[in-house]
Amino acid sequence: MSEEERKFLQIVNLKKGFGSGDSRQEVLKGMNFEVAKGEFCVLLGPSGSGKSTLLNIIGGIDNPDSGYISINGDKLEEMDEKTLTQYRRKHLGYVFQLYNLIPNLNVKENVEVGAYLSDNPLDIDELLHTLGLYEHRHKLPNQLSGGQQQRTSIGRAIVKNPDILLCDEPTGALDYNTSKEILKLIEDVNKKYGNTIIMVTHNDTIKLMADHVIKLRDGVVRHNIVNETKVSAVDLDW
Amino acid sequence: MKNPLKKRVPRELKGEWHKYVTVFVFLTLIIGFISGMYVANHSMLVSNAEGKTKYNLEDGHFRVKSELSEEMRKAIEAGEQADVRAYYRDKAIAEATDKAVEEIEKSLKDNGLEPEGPTADLYKENYDKALEEAKAKIEEEVDKELDKELEGKLPDPADPVPVTIYENYYKEVSEVWEGGGDTRGDVRVFKAQDKVNGYCIHKGEAPKSADEIAIDRMHADNAGIKVGDTIKVGGTQFKVCALIAFVNYSTLYKKNTDTMFDAITFDVALVTEEGFDRIDNDIYYNYAWFYKNAPADDKEEKKLSEAFVNVIGTQAIVYENEAKEFVPGYINHAVTFAPDDFGKDKAMGGVILDILVVVLAFIFAMTISNTITKEASVIGTLRASGYTRGELLVHYMTVPVCVTLAAAILGNILGYTLFKEVVIAMYYNSYSLPTYKTIMNFEALWKTTLIPVALMFVINLIIIARKLTLSPLKFLRHDLKRSKRKKAIRLPKWKFMTRFKTRVLMQNFPNYLTLLLGVCFVMIMMAMAVGMPSTLKYYQEHVGEMMFVKEQVVLKSTEDADGNEITTAVKGAERFSMYSLLYRAKKMDESIAVYGIEPDSKYMKIPADMAENEVVISDAFSGKYGFKAGDTITLWEEYENKSYDFKVRDVVSYSGAIAVFMHNDSFNEVFDYDEGSFMGYLSQSPIDDIDEKYILTTIGEKDITKMADQLDHSMGSFMLYFQYLCIILSVVLIYLLTKIIIEKNENAISMTKILGYNNREINSLYILPTLFVMIIEEVIGIFVGYLIMLVVWKSYMAKLGGWFEFNMGIKEFVRMFVMIFVAYIIVMLIDTRRIKKVPMDEALKNVE
Repeated sequence: MSEEERKFLQIVNLKKGFGSGDSRQEVLKGMNFEVAKGEFCVLLGPSGSGKSTLLNIIGGIDNPDSGYISINGDKLEEMDEKTLTQYRRKHLGYVFQLYNLIPNLNVKENVEVGAYLSDNPLDIDELLHTLGLYEHRHKLPNQLSGGQQQRTSIGRAIVKNPDILLCDEPTGALDYNTSKEILKLIEDVNKKYGNTIIMVTHNDTIKLMADHVIKLRDGVVRHNIVNETKVSAVDLDW
Repeated sequence: MKNPLKKRVPRELKGEWHKYVTVFVFLTLIIGFISGMYVANHSMLVSNAEGKTKYNLEDGHFRVKSELSEEMRKAIEAGEQADVRAYYRDKAIAEATDKAVEEIEKSLKDNGLEPEGPTADLYKENYDKALEEAKAKIEEEVDKELDKELEGKLPDPADPVPVTIYENYYKEVSEVWEGGGDTRGDVRVFKAQDKVNGYCIHKGEAPKSADEIAIDRMHADNAGIKVGDTIKVGGTQFKVCALIAFVNYSTLYKKNTDTMFDAITFDVALVTEEGFDRIDNDIYYNYAWFYKNAPADDKEEKKLSEAFVNVIGTQAIVYENEAKEFVPGYINHAVTFAPDDFGKDKAMGGVILDILVVVLAFIFAMTISNTITKEASVIGTLRASGYTRGELLVHYMTVPVCVTLAAAILGNILGYTLFKEVVIAMYYNSYSLPTYKTIMNFEALWKTTLIPVALMFVINLIIIARKLTLSPLKFLRHDLKRSKRKKAIRLPKWKFMTRFKTRVLMQNFPNYLTLLLGVCFVMIMMAMAVGMPSTLKYYQEHVGEMMFVKEQVVLKSTEDADGNEITTAVKGAERFSMYSLLYRAKKMDESIAVYGIEPDSKYMKIPADMAENEVVISDAFSGKYGFKAGDTITLWEEYENKSYDFKVRDVVSYSGAIAVFMHNDSFNEVFDYDEGSFMGYLSQSPIDDIDEKYILTTIGEKDITKMADQLDHSMGSFMLYFQYLCIILSVVLIYLLTKIIIEKNENAISMTKILGYNNREINSLYILPTLFVMIIEEVIGIFVGYLIMLVVWKSYMAKLGGWFEFNMGIKEFVRMFVMIFVAYIIVMLIDTRRIKKVPMDEALKNVE
């Protein structure tokens, strides 16, 4: 792996706070770490540790107070609103805890919403097969289970074959089995398409399937671990 | 790849079809009607303009007392002012010289000199000398006197205005028709000629024999006269052979200074030369003129006509005729009123359409704003995934713009077909217009298609774009409020349900504000739709009280053919005089009736000690122009550069006309009539013992209410449609806005159902606050509508002759309230059903 690939995502002295005066709360207090290209990175930490804020800043939908993020050598802070949108459009995929699907578009169309943004999207039907949604492709979101909805939202995020897939508690609203299915899917996507995955979770077990684990607490990185003995999602248990 | 969001558009339309169909139908109807109005207006204006050439419309007309002599006719056609001073000078010198000659002759004779005989030479010598001296003195005195008399009264010299003039003689007589009952009209019968002021035949054929008459189509419609009917014209029977429209009478104004046109009791007609001779009445020597050098525009025409009026005025003096009427084309209401009205309708229709589209655009934008709030997570995700603001903006704007565009297209198709006919029928119901052919109108196309779509586009663009400027994160967090309220407003310790309702009310404040805007707009239209007929009705019903006397008979002359004074035996009849002057107001010249009243009049009580220049004025005069006791008013002669100043002694209660009253003696003095002169009789009972041929005109109730009658006839049914339109518009506005309120609260409604609230309680939470607000907004709207109509009415009346006050009683206010309230009740029933249909699992579903 080249130096460039190793430092694909750089987080440098990142600080972020909310509020002002007495009620000001520092959420990120100077955060530093790097993520390599194609890595499955898990951001782990309890509620309020700043992991979602960090993910939002990486995704370019929030700004740090100081410090910077660079992706593939491009610093996000130097991008204006328009460039940032283009950056998200071309390089990022987002998966949320709540699936945020468009209610009056069917499964296939919801995936097309992502494909539309890419000049070189993945084959949608093939992806639907991979996601196990092909038979459900004509259903509307309210006709699907939670797991199927989340799979659709993953499909929407990865169909444009983004460099980075950002997942914010993707299993937070799902039961045990469905959660494992989704984690397996993300693992497969990572393997098949080679996207860098950054997943925010408070589920400690998920760290076992990651290449790289960043543990956060009180706005700082407590542990930055490279997982040499990662296990498959199917073998996880909690 | 096509944007997949596009696929949402038809689904959105299908899912919310009732909302979009409501707006679509409403917009289509409004655009259709306005487009129809534009097309009808344009087609009518074109046919009207073509008609001017086709039917040789005059450039103006004047009427003189006696037929023009050949010399006078030539002098007028040359367009040169007569030398009035020279005329007066020669006349005065001739008169004075005759008198001087008599005096010289007498003096010479008294001194023993005779023109014949031995003293003849001496007589001649002395005579010549005396005459020469007298002449020099006379000339000097006459010049001095004329300088004094004519100072400022002679027109300024002007370039000649050469014209061609044509006879357009008529007789003005009574018209009685079968089935007309007590109604009798006045008909102006023209003698057939083919040089000027032609006509378009709507039905029948032009008169060929002496007993045939062609009458105005509009009047025939109003009076129920058909081709083949027999009518009595000045007592002579004629058979109606055709219904026509004269090019110079598209609007039936009897006099140019009349308050309003009158197609009900006034008619214009055409007979053959022999037919003309059959009518036993005086000829009105009316002449139409054409400028030899046609003016380029109204401004130049005004200049020419101002010069030409002096030609007529001065030539009439030197040829000892009398100018009775002078009406240049550009101010001839009978010609200009209809096209002006088309123009006003068009402007008004355009403004109403624009306001409606703006109101609907706001509602659309609020609906979409609400959808954006509901779809905040999706929008946040899409924005986070790289969708640009522009892409989302286009997406959310597609539906309103498409609906407006579709409504505009269908509306225009209906405008060219169905609604055009409706508008044309409306115009044919008021005006005597020639036949027309439909002409494609691009103005209609862009004003009723491009402008509504552009308005819808811009308003939605501003509101939606502003909403979408929020960051993706804010959308993801459902944090869509721009300003953060520091503290929640604390409510007093009311009952829980009261506090709940108050919260609903506060939450929907912006929607209620938009609703208030809509309600005020509807109420302004409603005030017009309800107030105008009520004003006219009030005027028609109370005209008896508004008149100071029931009948005013104006005589042509106060002496009959044998030179005896015309008298009446009708009890209570008293003499009076009447003169017409002009009040030069800012927007128009208003015709003022100046009355000379007997000092002890039973009908009009005026102070006995009024000075010669003192008058009392009617409260209509005072109401329209704001004069009060102590003010001085200046009134002008119609066709002369001569004015009179009167001091207002008092304002009398008489709202039937804009009038001025003075003692008859003062009247005779001011207007230079012989002492004891009068012009007619005032009476409470009909004066039926004076031969019709001596009567110039009779003014009764019908004459006073003809403005109201005509307005009622022309606009009455239109106003009723307007009321319905207001109700439909209210239903649309209230429906769309309350829909937003309920949609916003669907989750809460669902939750209250889960918690066990019954439908009645839920209705009281989500419907009662709107009911409460609606009542308050209606009251505010009525107040605003009424006040605005007062201003609009005053400005409307300023452009018309005459005056009557805008009148709305309690009944009308209640009517306005009830009509809009009914609209609300309809929506309330729909809302109740809508609330009932909110499913209980709504609150349990995911935010999508």
